[in-house]
Amino acid sequence: MAAREEDTPIQHRQKDRAAVLPMVLIVVVSATTGVILGLLIDWFPTPASTQADPIDTLWDVLIIASVPIFVGVQAFVLYCVWRFRMRPGQELQDGPPIHGNTTLEVVWTVIPAVLILGLCAYSFFILEDIEEAKANEMRINVTGQQFTWTFEYPKSVTGGKPIRSAQLYVPEDRPVHFYVKSQDVLHDFWVPAWRMKIDAVPGIETKVRMTPNRLGRYSIVCAELCGIGHAYMRQTANVVSQEDFDEWLRSKQQRGGTAGGGAAGGEEIDGKTIFTEGNGESTACGACHALADAGTNATTGPNLDKVLPGMTPEQIREAIVDPNKEIEEGFGEGIMPDNFEQLLTPEELDALVKYLDEVRK
Amino acid sequence: MEAAALPHHDHHGPPPANSSSRVEPQLLGMLLFIISEIMVFGAFFTAYFFIRVVAGSDWFPVEDFELPKVVAGVNTAILVSSSLTMHWALEGAKHGNRAHLKSGLLLTLLLGSTFLFVQINEYVNLTQEGLTPSVLAQGSVFYGLTGLHGAHVFIGLTLLLFATIRAFRGHFTPDEHRGVEVPGIYWHFVDVMWILVYSSVYLL
Amino acid sequence: MSLRSAGYPRAGLFGLLGLAFSYALVSSIRALYGWDPVVDGEAVARVAMLAVPLFMLVGFGLFDYWFYWAAGKPTRPEDHSGHGAFSWRDYFRPNTDHKVIGIQYTVTSFVFLFIGGLLAMLMRAELAQPGRQFVDADTYNGLFSVHASILIFLFIIPVFAGLANFVLPLMIGAPDMAFPRLNALSYWLLPLAGTMMLLSFFAPGGSFATGWTAYAPLSETSPIGQEFFTIGVQFAGASSIATALNFLVTIITMRAPGMSFFRMPLLVWANFSTSLLVVIATPFIAASQFFILLDRALGFRYFDAALGGDVLMYQHVFWFYSHPAVYIMMLPGFGIISEIIAVKARKPIFGYRMMAFSLLAIVVLGFTVWAHHMFVSGMQSWIRIPMMITTAVIAVPTGIKIFSWCATLWRGVLRLDTPMLFALGFLTMFTLGGISGVMFAMIPIDIHTSDTYFVVAHIHYVLFGGSVFTILAGVYYWFPKMTGRMYDESLGKLHFWLTFVFFNLSFGPMHLIGVKGMPRRVYDYSEAFAGWNLMITISSLCLGLSFLVFAYNIVASWRGGPRAAANPWRALTLEWQVSSPPPVFNFDHIPTVVGGPYEYGTPGAVHGVFKGGARVEQPAGAAVEPSSRE
Ligand code: HEA
Ligand code: HEA
Ligand code: HEC
Ligand code: CUA
Ligand SMILES: [Cu+2]
Repeated sequence: MAAREEDTPIQHRQKDRAAVLPMVLIVVVSATTGVILGLLIDWFPTPASTQADPIDTLWDVLIIASVPIFVGVQAFVLYCVWRFRMRPGQELQDGPPIHGNTTLEVVWTVIPAVLILGLCAYSFFILEDIEEAKANEMRINVTGQQFTWTFEYPKSVTGGKPIRSAQLYVPEDRPVHFYVKSQDVLHDFWVPAWRMKIDAVPGIETKVRMTPNRLGRYSIVCAELCGIGHAYMRQTANVVSQEDFDEWLRSKQQRGGTAGGGAAGGEEIDGKTIFTEGNGESTACGACHALADAGTNATTGPNLDKVLPGMTPEQIREAIVDPNKEIEEGFGEGIMPDNFEQLLTPEELDALVKYLDEVRK
Repeated sequence: MEAAALPHHDHHGPPPANSSSRVEPQLLGMLLFIISEIMVFGAFFTAYFFIRVVAGSDWFPVEDFELPKVVAGVNTAILVSSSLTMHWALEGAKHGNRAHLKSGLLLTLLLGSTFLFVQINEYVNLTQEGLTPSVLAQGSVFYGLTGLHGAHVFIGLTLLLFATIRAFRGHFTPDEHRGVEVPGIYWHFVDVMWILVYSSVYLL
Repeated sequence: MSLRSAGYPRAGLFGLLGLAFSYALVSSIRALYGWDPVVDGEAVARVAMLAVPLFMLVGFGLFDYWFYWAAGKPTRPEDHSGHGAFSWRDYFRPNTDHKVIGIQYTVTSFVFLFIGGLLAMLMRAELAQPGRQFVDADTYNGLFSVHASILIFLFIIPVFAGLANFVLPLMIGAPDMAFPRLNALSYWLLPLAGTMMLLSFFAPGGSFATGWTAYAPLSETSPIGQEFFTIGVQFAGASSIATALNFLVTIITMRAPGMSFFRMPLLVWANFSTSLLVVIATPFIAASQFFILLDRALGFRYFDAALGGDVLMYQHVFWFYSHPAVYIMMLPGFGIISEIIAVKARKPIFGYRMMAFSLLAIVVLGFTVWAHHMFVSGMQSWIRIPMMITTAVIAVPTGIKIFSWCATLWRGVLRLDTPMLFALGFLTMFTLGGISGVMFAMIPIDIHTSDTYFVVAHIHYVLFGGSVFTILAGVYYWFPKMTGRMYDESLGKLHFWLTFVFFNLSFGPMHLIGVKGMPRRVYDYSEAFAGWNLMITISSLCLGLSFLVFAYNIVASWRGGPRAAANPWRALTLEWQVSSPPPVFNFDHIPTVVGGPYEYGTPGAVHGVFKGGARVEQPAGAAVEPSSRE
């Protein structure tokens, strides 16, 4: 059989060394390039909370720790393919009968183990860091239901009576402690820009802390399959300055804990804006319905250009305040939120219905 | 023929299979199967654990629903004794004492069915008192665990029934009685399992 | 074929009987309690889903023997008619020959791969662009739920059982499995389970659409289609438990003389470990679906918080099976790779014993990590810490395997044919999948990436780049032994390169869009991800098409390929020492095992010798003449 195993131990080691050096070189080079590439990729959405930075750092550490392993294995295999592939004439040849090497085996058991435990320890501290309670936290109660989120600002925040809203307003740099509940099935409250998520579980109250630290509007995503409307269970988190936040709270309290702020802007209410943008709390109708006049083309709900003509204003109002009363052919029950009556002021509702009644003509 | 023979089947195609272990395949198979069964119960006990301990809901009596400890206790005694008769039957088979074998199996069947009957009776009473699986999670757990066990008693009885039929048709000899032994093991398992269920659902 | 003798007609008849039975049972009970309507379609369907398959199996004759036995009738003496397949028809009849069953298993599961994959193609088409393309949300949810369930429960798990069914008894020098009839039964459960899951698409309210995880309470309020999963899984699960028992008993009691545990090929070790996992873990998914069924059918309240139920309990029970399940879907693959790499690198497996022990280590650790799927589920937060550590530690035994395979390549004489290419592809791709797994294990990362496409990427790197690559490697490797024909090498290589490239193009970018914030299980997504998704869709279509090359190669070679030698790879393990395909009873003489399975490179080394001490003679030309020395 193959001559190799008749090598003297010395020849053995020579052959090994001859092959090892270039291998090590290739592995090291490719690993470093791999790490650099891995770090160059811009992985995350813009960080907008104090939790984001440590998590992103941990990510980079993981890239540095694990990419070499992947690329290393990769490079090693390719090297072997190139170096040890069967050449013509070797059809009947075997490799040397090497059964193992204890030192090697110990090394590649211990090193990964140490690496792993190190990473676990580090992650543990990061976890402590991102989940620790902070001073003057603001509590916000989040309720998930098919298929929308409702945010309640308790007395502790409003000073007056609690406020409910379908849009999340939080002041910049203020630690927020979310108490998450669910009315029906599992949902998951996730703000990618803030990196944190937690399931909304029927029957228990789950909690998650985030400290938004960058002004702007960020999408809130439901990350747990909750049924047919799961993909549309999206809302907006508005991070505003403390003043604007107080202003917003005030305006909401005046308007009896329902409408206000947001798009409709108060005074002259425009049904079309309500339809396309919502009133700052209510989900935009356009998010689910196509309506030529409003320039929306979503397909979750019926195409209103088609269905509206057949409806009286009363039916339209009915369909908005109590959508599940009768279900439009071909659509699932309970997708359209049934909370518009709470979230829209009577005036806004009238305006909306009036608008829809006009466009259907 | 020797160990690696097929289940309930005494003839295998050439060449004779190896027997690389002293354990008989049938016994080993049954033991492994029992491990699976234990895990099924394990899962139902998990449900019990979560609802009673983790969710911390209080346990019977709940909302003045009582579980008939005493009746079930008697029932336990019945089942335990059926294990003894089963053992007796097996001994009979081993020593070629057909009378023992038959009567032992019959007694076991009798006791086992009594157990089932009593339990069904208990269900009927409880539901009449209003404790259905639907009124409380505790109810679901109770019916789940005991029901699962009841189903196993039923399976055990069916296996024993087969053994009995064969016994009366003159099968089983002192050196060929696997058909009694294997169902017997299963029956003992069902028995032990009940003791766990009883103590955790009724007593604790 | 008369209706009285076992077979398809009788199976059909019994199926109808089962239907009638369910109808009668339900209606009579409802009549008894005076519920109306006396005929409740859902209830009947529910009972029928359990009864009809069983009735059909009885009609098909799979229980005949046991009925005879039970009734104490003289059982028909075994005439071995149940052994061997002499025409393609024999593959469509109940057969107790492990080789026939192995092929039945393998072919059936590949059919399911194609179906499951086609569903994936539909999903990708829907995801090609934001907004609704051609399926509505409910259909889409159904698509990925069935996609996953089919591919996990009816492709990966059974196909491994199938390959092992064929080679394992041969490898340990046994004439058959320990319980051939049970073996046949476990096979015939599969087509039923799979058909049931697929039929759910025709159920009123659509197919089950709660993911393959079927989380309560969503799975309790969803339409009847859900129960096609709830019950279908029971059959699939029963099948794999039965097979696992069979493997364990076979391995323990039927090894050839001299085949000590540490002389077993690693594939046998792998299936030994896997079977342990199956026997211990599978009952938990059975139970989790029992809970759902009880809640739906009999009004139990396991998951109704208002009545003291606990929603998270479902997830714990489910994952206590389904994490071990992911190793059930990987360990047999590890076994296959060990066989192939040793043979194709012409070297003994590096660190054989550690390879075996690491398998057992994975089995043990596998039971201690389930809650890493629940880091954001709202469970008691302290549980996350121990789970993080155990989860990450699994990287160590797995690493031992990866590194040992690499070391086996070192200074071998690598034959880069199709099986080897897939083996090397596995080596690299699975490493990546495993590493993303370890990233999940780090809780802060998981909090962000859980339920995103990063998970989808991980899933496919471990399940496709891991399991499927090993399966394809195994299929090419044993194809000559199973069919007695040679596959087309160049087509095989083409298949590998297409698959390898488009696999990475399809699932690689999912890592990025996942971290960037695209959630999984959505049929519509924000414009931001449009570009990547289009590219993924296109390449996954090509990935799908690459399977056509495979399909053609297999079918054509099976029908008209060149005859295969008994031992084309010059392998030492026992299955290669018999003709291709093997004789009906595997061995005319039971071999005696005299050495390790991978003694390549040692002149004249053999694994087993046959009666009369005759050295296993290798087919002409394959034998290693001294002349071949450098
Ligand atoms: C074949 C199937 C398979 C396999 C083998 C694995 C292997 C692993 N998986 Fe995976 N996993 C799945 C299939 C699989 N997984 C599926 C289907 C899901 C989704 C379920 C759903 O639908 O929700 C999932 C989800 C999943 C999650 C949950 C994600 C979430 O939903 O939030 C986690 C979290 O920890 C995880 C972790 C791991 C780990 C640590 C391993 C480890 O076993 C990996 C170990 C291997 C390596 C690490 C590579 C080789 C090792 C080395 C080269 C040594 C050196 C390496 C280091 C030091 C890092 N997996
Ligand atoms: C073994 C397991 C396995 C395999 C092989 C695959 C294979 C594929 N998977 Fe699958 N997938 C899962 C297991 C698997 N998947 C799991 C567990 C989930 C999670 C589900 C959940 O969330 O509950 C998932 C989810 C999942 C998603 C995410 C769905 C979502 O969350 O919204 C996607 C999306 O792209 C996807 C795509 C694909 C594709 C393109 C393939 C391709 O590789 C398929 C290629 C194969 C074929 C195409 C078939 C053979 C070819 C032909 C029949 C020729 C004809 C084909 C053409 C017309 C081109 N899968
Ligand atoms: C989350 C998605 C969603 C949102 C947001 C939504 N709808 Fe709907 N809507 C639906 C669905 C789905 C249906 C069909 C099922 C039904 O009738 O309830 C529907 C039905 C309707 C109908 C009845 C159509 C018919 O033929 O009966 C009207 C009118 C309507 N919506 C108007 C609105 C208006 C006005 C708003 C905004 C205030 C709105 N919808 C917001 C999803 C939505
Ligand atoms: Cu709510 Cu998904
Ligand atoms: Cu897991």
